[in-house]
Amino acid sequence: MATLLEARGLVKRFGGLTAVDGVDISVAHGEIVGLIGPNGSGKTTLFDCLSRVIGIDSGSIEFEGTDITRLRPHEVARLGLSRTFQIIRVYRDLTVSENMELSIRWSSVGAAGLFRRTDRATRRRVTDLLEFLQIAHCRHERAGDLSGGQRRLLEIGMALMSEPKLLLLDESTSGVNPTLVTGIADRLRAVNAEEGVAILLVEHNVGFVVDLCERVVVLDRGAKLAEGPPQRIMEIPAVIEAYFGAEGGGGE
Amino acid sequence: MNRVGLQDRSAAGSLRVGRVMRIAAVAILILLLCVPLLPGTNDASLFTLTLMLTAVGVAVNWNLTGGFTGYVDFGHAVWFGIGAYTTAILMSLQSNGPQIGWSAPPAIALGALVAGLLAAVIGRATMRLKGPYFSIAMLGTFVAVREIVRVWGGLTGGGVGLTLPPYLNRPLFYYLELGLVAVLVAFTWWLRGTRLGAALVAIREDEIGAEMRGIDTTRLKVMVFSFAGFSTGLFGALWAYQNTFVDPDIAFVEVRTVDAVMGTMLGGLGTVAGPVIGTALLFWLRELLWSHLLDYHLIAQGILLIVIVLFLPRGIMGRFDSRGASAMAIWRRRERRRASACEHSTETRRDGRGGS
Repeated sequence: MATLLEARGLVKRFGGLTAVDGVDISVAHGEIVGLIGPNGSGKTTLFDCLSRVIGIDSGSIEFEGTDITRLRPHEVARLGLSRTFQIIRVYRDLTVSENMELSIRWSSVGAAGLFRRTDRATRRRVTDLLEFLQIAHCRHERAGDLSGGQRRLLEIGMALMSEPKLLLLDESTSGVNPTLVTGIADRLRAVNAEEGVAILLVEHNVGFVVDLCERVVVLDRGAKLAEGPPQRIMEIPAVIEAYFGAEGGGGE
Repeated sequence: MNRVGLQDRSAAGSLRVGRVMRIAAVAILILLLCVPLLPGTNDASLFTLTLMLTAVGVAVNWNLTGGFTGYVDFGHAVWFGIGAYTTAILMSLQSNGPQIGWSAPPAIALGALVAGLLAAVIGRATMRLKGPYFSIAMLGTFVAVREIVRVWGGLTGGGVGLTLPPYLNRPLFYYLELGLVAVLVAFTWWLRGTRLGAALVAIREDEIGAEMRGIDTTRLKVMVFSFAGFSTGLFGALWAYQNTFVDPDIAFVEVRTVDAVMGTMLGGLGTVAGPVIGTALLFWLRELLWSHLLDYHLIAQGILLIVIVLFLPRGIMGRFDSRGASAMAIWRRRERRRASACEHSTETRRDGRGGS
């Protein structure tokens, strides 16, 4: 499979703390990759670097062969990289529908498009996605009035609205009802299979990662510890020690 | 079925409120159109009403950046002063100042344009700042421009100011400003429904999130800031012409910004009707206080600001949500959601699928 995202030697320091330490990571077209590691291992910081929310100290990032190392976040998003956040980012004062309508592919909106109202095709896609995520009944609610789980689903819907090529999901099952977690996994698999969307996800739910991902990257203290198929990764002693503690143990 | 019924009632409530507000707006506009024809209306009362419309116009413009986009501009009056001074310079024929002598229409148009262009340049730099840093940068811009105008005597007449050729047609100015305010409010209402309007609210709500969704936040912020500068510059230019005189202390007045902020807060930040209702009410209150409690009107104004912040943080229009729904409709929606959540959790338990 051709490479969609390729980051080489990423380094991000906050003062004396090296949060990301020379990480190489790649995602191929249509691939689902998991990014795991204990708290503070640099997963979210790596996501912030890849989506250009924060700058990097050294290294390079390419998306579909385009160097995005110096691009602004909206430029990266317009290339087809969409993400969710560990701390949910929805527009609390807008309705669920308005949140979705605002998450369109902005690269296709010209200057004149800014002064238009939402078109029928966008509204149809909003309806389809909300039904797909089972929150269509909340479409007229203020996003701030939704439960934590519903907001998570809304954020995933917003990320999918822009028809991304790569979806970065940061702990998107956290706070979601366990029955719905299975549903989310099914939907992500469907999005991946039907629309060819590649997914890079940060998760603490190991079962979710094993179930969904073809490949897993393990971070520890900002550096890459291991990489490979999930079943094999979970048997590496260094991973067990870093992720579950010296005694080993089950998933969360 | 019950839920659908509630939703329908809530939507119907929103529509009713929206319709009532639209009818009220048209009725007020018709009433204001008739004011110059009413017996007892004189030049002084028309001038006062024109000044109120000016304050309303400035507040509506301020609301575009402060209310919709969430960038609280403490120096907004600078665009008013620049519009006023550009017009005054272009029309001036006095011996101690420039002797250009343009007629009013091009001078007023250029006054607004210069304000808009300067807003684009300054906005490009200051709108990269966030929160109080932006507010203070704009306050600094306001003070700096006022002092430049004061010391640049050859062009601006310095502290002495500039006199414009008199043209005291009060009804004309009144209708001009009324038309401008009506167009501006209609434009704001229309803008709120467009992708640009929604994107501005998104910037206010979560700028990084908006950026991550692909919105070029800097471009949109500067665009709306420049428009607000242009439009406030236009009100400044018209004010200079009808006032027939400008000097730094009356063209660049901090109170003009304070009025816009207070009026918008009283009416409702980020709402279409809020700045109009709030500023008109504030103007009327001030006139009342001025005439009855001259020594204490500023104290009363300060107390009013505290009361707004403490007891009416979302303003008068804050009682309605962004789509015009009343507080009751919002409450109904919340109740419906809670009922739906309870129903879902009951079903989950009944099916033996209970989550943690």
